Amino acid sequence: MSRITRTLAAATAALATAALLAACAGTAAPEAGGNADPAAPVTGGTLTYLEHQAFTNLYPPQAGFYPNGGVVNNIAARLTYQNPETLEIEPWIADSWEVNADATEYTFTLRDGVTFSDGTPVDAAAVAKNFDVYGLGNKELALTISEAINNYASSEVVDAATVKFHFSAPAPGFLQATSTINSGLLSPATLDLPLEKFGAGNAAAIIGAGPFVVSEEKLGTELTFTAREDYDWAPPSLKHQGRAYLDAIHLIVTPEDSVRIGGLTSGQADYIRYVQAFDEAAVESAGFELYAPQTRGVNNSLSLRFTNPLLSDLRVRQALVAGVNAQEVVDTLFTANYPVATSSLSSTALGYKDESEHLTFDPKKAAKLLDEAGWTVGADGIREKDGTRLSLDVYEAKPQPLSKQTLELVSQQLKAIGVELNVKAADAGSYAEDIKDPLKTPLYHSMVGRADLDVIKSQFHTKNRNVLLSNDTTLDALLEAVASEPDPAKRLEADAAVQDYLAEQAYVIPLFEEPQVYGAADYVEGVEFESVGRPIFYDVWLNK
Amino acid sequence: MSIDTENTRAAAPEVSIRPQARREASRKAAASNPEDPTTATDAGRPSRLRAIRPSLLLAWLVLGLVLAWAIAPWLFTGHDPLVGVPADKLQAPSLAHLFGTDQLGRDLLARVIYGAIQSLTGALVAVGVGLVLGTAIGVIAGSTGGVLDAILMRIVDVLLSIPGLLLALSIIILLGFGTINAAIAVGIGSVAAFARLSRSEVVRVRRSDYVEAAFGSGGRFLAVLWRHVLPNSLGAVVSLAALQFGVAILAISTLGFLGYGAPPPTPEWGLLVADGRNYIATSWWLTTFPGLVVVVVVLAANRISHSLRGEKKK
Amino acid sequence: MKHVLARIGQAAVVLFVAFAATFVLLQALPGDALMIKFENPELGLSAEQIAALRESYGVDVPLPQQFWHTLSGFLAGDFGYSIQNGTPVTQMLAEAAPQTITLALSAFLLAVLIAVSLAFLSSLTRFAWLRGFLRSLPGLFVSVPVFWLGIVLIQVFSFQLKLVPVIGADPVQGLILPVLTLAVPISAPLAQILVRSIDEVELAPFVSVVRAKGASRRRVLWNNVAKNAILPTVTIAGVLLGELIGGAVVTETVFGRTGIGRLTEQAVSAQDTPVLQAIVVLSALAFVLTNLAVDLLYPVLDPRLRRLSRGTARTAPAATPVLEGAAA
Repeated sequence: MSRITRTLAAATAALATAALLAACAGTAAPEAGGNADPAAPVTGGTLTYLEHQAFTNLYPPQAGFYPNGGVVNNIAARLTYQNPETLEIEPWIADSWEVNADATEYTFTLRDGVTFSDGTPVDAAAVAKNFDVYGLGNKELALTISEAINNYASSEVVDAATVKFHFSAPAPGFLQATSTINSGLLSPATLDLPLEKFGAGNAAAIIGAGPFVVSEEKLGTELTFTAREDYDWAPPSLKHQGRAYLDAIHLIVTPEDSVRIGGLTSGQADYIRYVQAFDEAAVESAGFELYAPQTRGVNNSLSLRFTNPLLSDLRVRQALVAGVNAQEVVDTLFTANYPVATSSLSSTALGYKDESEHLTFDPKKAAKLLDEAGWTVGADGIREKDGTRLSLDVYEAKPQPLSKQTLELVSQQLKAIGVELNVKAADAGSYAEDIKDPLKTPLYHSMVGRADLDVIKSQFHTKNRNVLLSNDTTLDALLEAVASEPDPAKRLEADAAVQDYLAEQAYVIPLFEEPQVYGAADYVEGVEFESVGRPIFYDVWLNK
Repeated sequence: MSIDTENTRAAAPEVSIRPQARREASRKAAASNPEDPTTATDAGRPSRLRAIRPSLLLAWLVLGLVLAWAIAPWLFTGHDPLVGVPADKLQAPSLAHLFGTDQLGRDLLARVIYGAIQSLTGALVAVGVGLVLGTAIGVIAGSTGGVLDAILMRIVDVLLSIPGLLLALSIIILLGFGTINAAIAVGIGSVAAFARLSRSEVVRVRRSDYVEAAFGSGGRFLAVLWRHVLPNSLGAVVSLAALQFGVAILAISTLGFLGYGAPPPTPEWGLLVADGRNYIATSWWLTTFPGLVVVVVVLAANRISHSLRGEKKK
Repeated sequence: MKHVLARIGQAAVVLFVAFAATFVLLQALPGDALMIKFENPELGLSAEQIAALRESYGVDVPLPQQFWHTLSGFLAGDFGYSIQNGTPVTQMLAEAAPQTITLALSAFLLAVLIAVSLAFLSSLTRFAWLRGFLRSLPGLFVSVPVFWLGIVLIQVFSFQLKLVPVIGADPVQGLILPVLTLAVPISAPLAQILVRSIDEVELAPFVSVVRAKGASRRRVLWNNVAKNAILPTVTIAGVLLGELIGGAVVTETVFGRTGIGRLTEQAVSAQDTPVLQAIVVLSALAFVLTNLAVDLLYPVLDPRLRRLSRGTARTAPAATPVLEGAAA
């Protein structure tokens, strides 16, 4: 426990943001009962880990989905390691690297003696092949380009231990990209597999160079990880070197919330992912520890699709922003681990800028703005203009925590200013179709986590996730500046400019900073997370 | 196939068992009803007969109350079922909130009372779809016979051979989410049971002496069908309908559990049970009270179904 | 013999129509498997990437061609690959089916046990209140949502009383609660059939004779009820098979077990057509075979029917008179 507290404390200092203190207070609570001076870590034992959903695919660029990422993170090593405390990039498989002045050429020198679990060496050719696939994709095998890599041109094997990457335009985010799970290094043979073969039922065939290998899979329900005895290439900055402490991890997919929680508190499981906010108190009061690493990206928010005619008026969007009480959402449905959002980005994200002046809850102002925009309150309490009711639809987003309840509460709040928000539910097929139509989904509930400035581009650029279904070229230009500005200081400015623009245009209603909440028994030591809150099992050991 | 639970289908097993076995078979069908089974043989046992009446009365009272909730919910609660007081969230049952409050501070009893209309409509639509389509198929098949009968009953076989849940979920996806659409999906799942039961009843009645006599004395096919066959075939079907009413409420609830429930803010019972289950360890009332209401209503429907069957036999 | 052949022919038609109907139904659903798979925003794919992926999967093949392709594959025993995760459908079914069959069979056996105990206890007890209580249990058993029952059983027996583990349990322990969850609703109709049979036996004229000769009531019941109850039990066994598989969806989801039920639910939600198509064919096959079996078994169990089946052939309009009864 002390470790994670320190982690968060350090991160707080590094980022110098007051908002994080709330999150820290939340996660630090169980410290009193924790082990202040843990004994020397013990090697051995099997950890029972309950996962909320089954993984769908282990192709690293698709590891953004948490169940996928949780697996990839532990079986695949990366070129670099992003220190979750400082967010600095440190060596891992790469001993050192050089970046040219305009960030169009990256040269990595690789560590010696690293092998994939099939015995192939992790050499320059293997690394080059990895990034050629992640940067350019492979149409034949249906392997897609990683959203973390921008402007990739080509690779060059300088010698067995040196690899160079060329970019068609400045790619300042690439160094951080090499540390993310989306750039997990896989054996060249694995990368010859089509996308299909990265799916469920084939996990044991995905070969990486991480501290664990998948040794057994029960389709859709269970996964067994085994520690690699010969793993000896942990990031040099870690205290712990050599093989992982645990012998094995038994991952069991347990979709029912009550069963996951009960499994932990009754001692049948050691460690669980996705503790719902309403269960946090029960977990803590039963003497178990909560971990709530932040996802450090674009906040959990509602995107206002301004291409919908009802939302094309800036005043209407501003009114919606002012009409939503994010504080009440957090107080009612969530806990201190979910700080109220103060910008489109999380306060723990790189490049965050406080935009709270644009985000204050002010129903009077909202009403006034709507009056000005010509929307007058109709007989049923919902505003109208030229016979059109101010009625908007939003879909419950299954991946977001308590999405339905959140939207119901927001709908209740908006009703007070005369706006009708219909919370809809749909099957996956209709959902996938309708969220791409601004007329059917004028408000869209989403978030994305990644500890790099590029994350904001991933979320809003028309060529990426495009959650706004935008046609705003100004916004695109601002986002491109973030992804291609080689000068670090200017890049931060560019990031701030995007946040300013999003807030001024009232394109998003940020709700809260989303954590990933885990629960673990008190004897589970060394619980750590990568920078976006996926579990690292390498340091975990059982103190019992 | 929790959609058409065992009792629905089991309710029809007597179909086309031979004449002598007929009466016995219909008793067997009755036997597969989930109700207090004491009535069947109570003719000579006044002591048991007395014990039954109050339970039947109670069943009708329950349905009456629920119906009143559906028609005029505001008479039974002063709370708003849709807009809660967030600060009052997750309160345990108390005098102010008899069933407690939910995660948004809404009064659970008010949600149950206002949800009656949704749940009852849903159950009625489900039964209606099954009854109308199923009986139509069954009566046509049973009264015409021959090739048409064979074709219709093979169609029913196809309906039965596709897993009920798959069928129900596909229909919901096709129609969109909502109580009525879920009810239609559940109803289609019960078409086969109604078709088989009504066909067998029609076949049975057709073979009876007085219908033979009606035909023999020159009665026109449709007239005889309408005047003699239908009225005498309907008893078992109506009884199945009452039974199916409870089944439908449960089935819609199961759909809610699988994530195919009506969109908010509709406080439909099944969905209340399904959504509340996540709070079972922390706020037990959220799933327990709507669950109890469902149990009581389903029991009442089954009790009434049974009494309908019993009356038919006298 | 001709009769049996006709029956088999009809079964084949039912199988084919089920296959074709499912194909049409699944095609009609909004969206498709690829869209669902790749639109997951957490995968971070852009619209262009998705379009390219869709092309690489050949989604634009005309429907009749797709139908023919799928059908010929099935006839050759090739169920294809799951679109959602690329696994061969055969492998998925091979992993799921034994689990579900074990669960369903155990649940059926337990249900019979519960039903027999309930029926005989309620008939043999001297206390009217106990009789009333036991006889009202089946009604209660089918009024409770199965998922709710499962969750409550887990909470009480596993988490509170800590009697049986549900997580990381060995295969036998892991079966206890799921089997109970599934058996309870299934036992209700069985219990009711038994209760009814007992009542019938008690009122039957021959019983008075036998009892007058000095046989004990208990003995009369044991000797005659089984004989009377077996026919309807076999009748609804065919029905319950479907119910067990259906109930397995909920049970498997609650308990996080692999199985056909959960596979179905996941495949519907992902519109994973090849998987669903295979499940429908298997389920239809099971349905058709069960009916054939029950059909052939029926006259064996009930001599009265054996005698009648010849006599009624002319009045019964359906070619498969007993089939309906069996599978209704």
